[in-house]
Amino acid sequence: MDKFVLNLIHRPEMVPEYAEKITGHGKAEDIGRKQLLTESLDIFKLQQETAHKNGLKTTIHMTYASLFNDEAVSIAKKHHAAYKDEIGLSLLGLPCKEFREKYKTKDFCIWMFSIEDKKQIVNDVFEKFHERFGFYPESTGSYYMDAELTNYIKEKYPTVKCAIATCWEEGPKAYHTCNNSWYTFLDGGPWAPWIPSKLNTHAPAANEAEDSGIVAIPHLSRDLIACYDGNGSNFGTHPQNVLRGMIYDSQTWDMPYFYNLVDQYRDLHKYNNGYAYNMMFVGPGWLNKMGRWEAPYELLKKSYEDGCAYYGKLKKEGKLTDLTMAEFADYYREKKHYEEPECALWRDILYGSDKQVFWYCDPYMRACVNMDQGGAIVDLRPYAAKLKWEVGIGTKHIQDASYPFLIQEKYRAGYFTHYAGEGTVRSAKISYQGEEIDLCLCRTKAHFSEKKDDNGKVSLRILTLDPVEIKFEGLTVVLQTTQYFKEGSGAIQIERKILSMSNPDAKVEINEYMVACYGTTEYPEDMTNITLKCIGKSEVKTIDYAYRCREAAIAEASEVNAVIPAIDTKVSLTVQDCSGVEGYVKEGYAFSPMFTLGYKKIISDKEVFTTWLNLEKAN
Amino acid sequence: MAQSGKGKLNYRCPSCFMRDLDIDMFYDEDKKEYYCIRCQYTGKEEDVLKNNEMIRFRYKAMNQRFQKFDFD
Repeated sequence: MDKFVLNLIHRPEMVPEYAEKITGHGKAEDIGRKQLLTESLDIFKLQQETAHKNGLKTTIHMTYASLFNDEAVSIAKKHHAAYKDEIGLSLLGLPCKEFREKYKTKDFCIWMFSIEDKKQIVNDVFEKFHERFGFYPESTGSYYMDAELTNYIKEKYPTVKCAIATCWEEGPKAYHTCNNSWYTFLDGGPWAPWIPSKLNTHAPAANEAEDSGIVAIPHLSRDLIACYDGNGSNFGTHPQNVLRGMIYDSQTWDMPYFYNLVDQYRDLHKYNNGYAYNMMFVGPGWLNKMGRWEAPYELLKKSYEDGCAYYGKLKKEGKLTDLTMAEFADYYREKKHYEEPECALWRDILYGSDKQVFWYCDPYMRACVNMDQGGAIVDLRPYAAKLKWEVGIGTKHIQDASYPFLIQEKYRAGYFTHYAGEGTVRSAKISYQGEEIDLCLCRTKAHFSEKKDDNGKVSLRILTLDPVEIKFEGLTVVLQTTQYFKEGSGAIQIERKILSMSNPDAKVEINEYMVACYGTTEYPEDMTNITLKCIGKSEVKTIDYAYRCREAAIAEASEVNAVIPAIDTKVSLTVQDCSGVEGYVKEGYAFSPMFTLGYKKIISDKEVFTTWLNLEKAN
Repeated sequence: MAQSGKGKLNYRCPSCFMRDLDIDMFYDEDKKEYYCIRCQYTGKEEDVLKNNEMIRFRYKAMNQRFQKFDFD
């Protein structure tokens, strides 16, 4: 039976993010101000009341600060007894007088502390929780939970089974939106729940040995098109984020976009064995009595009430199941197996275009296929590498917790570049008598299907694109792309079929290519350790990257690949049949710090050309 | 000239919002206007509100309810 699950989470944050800055404008900082504490608790009460009024149970995430507040503890106990709300423990909301006096810092993001401090903080907050409630929590979370932190928590407090572990595509875009003052670099993770690996939180575990022992959920359910392009904090299942994006009618205060977002998530059950998920977690700072930017308090409150009312309505109609985080972890482990991917065929619901993308995530990769660009892969994260990437003070990545990309169309151009060079993308070019057309310019739509293996288990997800027409001077070619995602393979099979040609005797050249690099931000990385290889039957051509714009090609090559030591990744293209193909690699140059892997072949009417994009751990 | 403060609502700069920047504006009591501390935008409240409406030009489907999410 189809199931749409909601996790609704509230935290009594005694010093809400933003609130001190807003309510305290013009006053010297004082995080112990009585007015601030009273208001914070009032917001928590309002959120709880709104949820319960709509028949929804919540997960109460106690903050460290709230553990020192008798009323907050008392409310949590009462609501647990009355409504079966879960009492969990948040690693957000650390700032309070007690914390500052002990740690002598204003840092508040758990993943940015040194590993020694992380452990000490975890000990402090978990023991304080136990002191107040008499048990250890089953759920925890922050905006990001690095693997080392999760591993420590799981080892020390094995009751924990669920955690809020990332905020989808919150990275350089959010940093930029906050005038480069919001240091959460968490790009490259899953958008829906997953079981994180012990080595890297973003990368799902492929098996029990890799299993971190928790089920991770994202902070909010984000718009999978709008959030990837713009400020993520405008486009999610967070009513005040929708207000932040000004996506509401300023006269009526209606926000249909929020409901569309929920409904599109509900629709994802079609691609995930009947399961769909939403998470709503609004920090109390967003319900500030002083209002938030141009939104007065009354609008903030209304939007929260409207959001909860919609979820409540769905529940009453039997279309939604509200679970606590711990309950959800049990459900998820029963429902999903390690290698089962998360899939989302997603359409634009905001700009009024028909743009459509497909997101795919499994233990080996996260990929985005853009149907507005003929099915080009426009984002690719090589989870197969299970990259060890420690974060926090004392590591090489103090703030940067993003999982590196090979392809990222926003940070590394994509199809269109200015003046010179190339951007990252996996596409194909079709050539005929000196003309060349890139499939990136052929807008289309996709349809999802599945195939079962001999045991009756779904093991193959198929994306079939509507055929596109390619018009040359004197020849029209109708071509169809199909992409296959086989569970556990770490590969994407891409099939191009010529359905028809206006001249059936004509021949065209197809150039399957991938332009890639690596990075986590908008700025280029050092490419000098990358090695490019073209592997033929009897020879191998190698280019050690030195920005010299070199190329190498081999007829009937069985593989072309790149090894990127900085991210422990090997990426390759292979073909089904080497006969008649030419494999090639291209080095970039300083103005275009990319590499290209590709295959060319002359093909005729009705012919199919199949290639694979493969991801592996390099070492 | 006295220091600036926040207005009755904490308006963001509409010009910066258009380029995905959330920048709080401050209110100049002497000139009775909001101004952006990052760019050169200044405006009375009516102008800010008018521009906030204009910002929504890209959200063509903002008031639409979708019933279908695929193209099958």
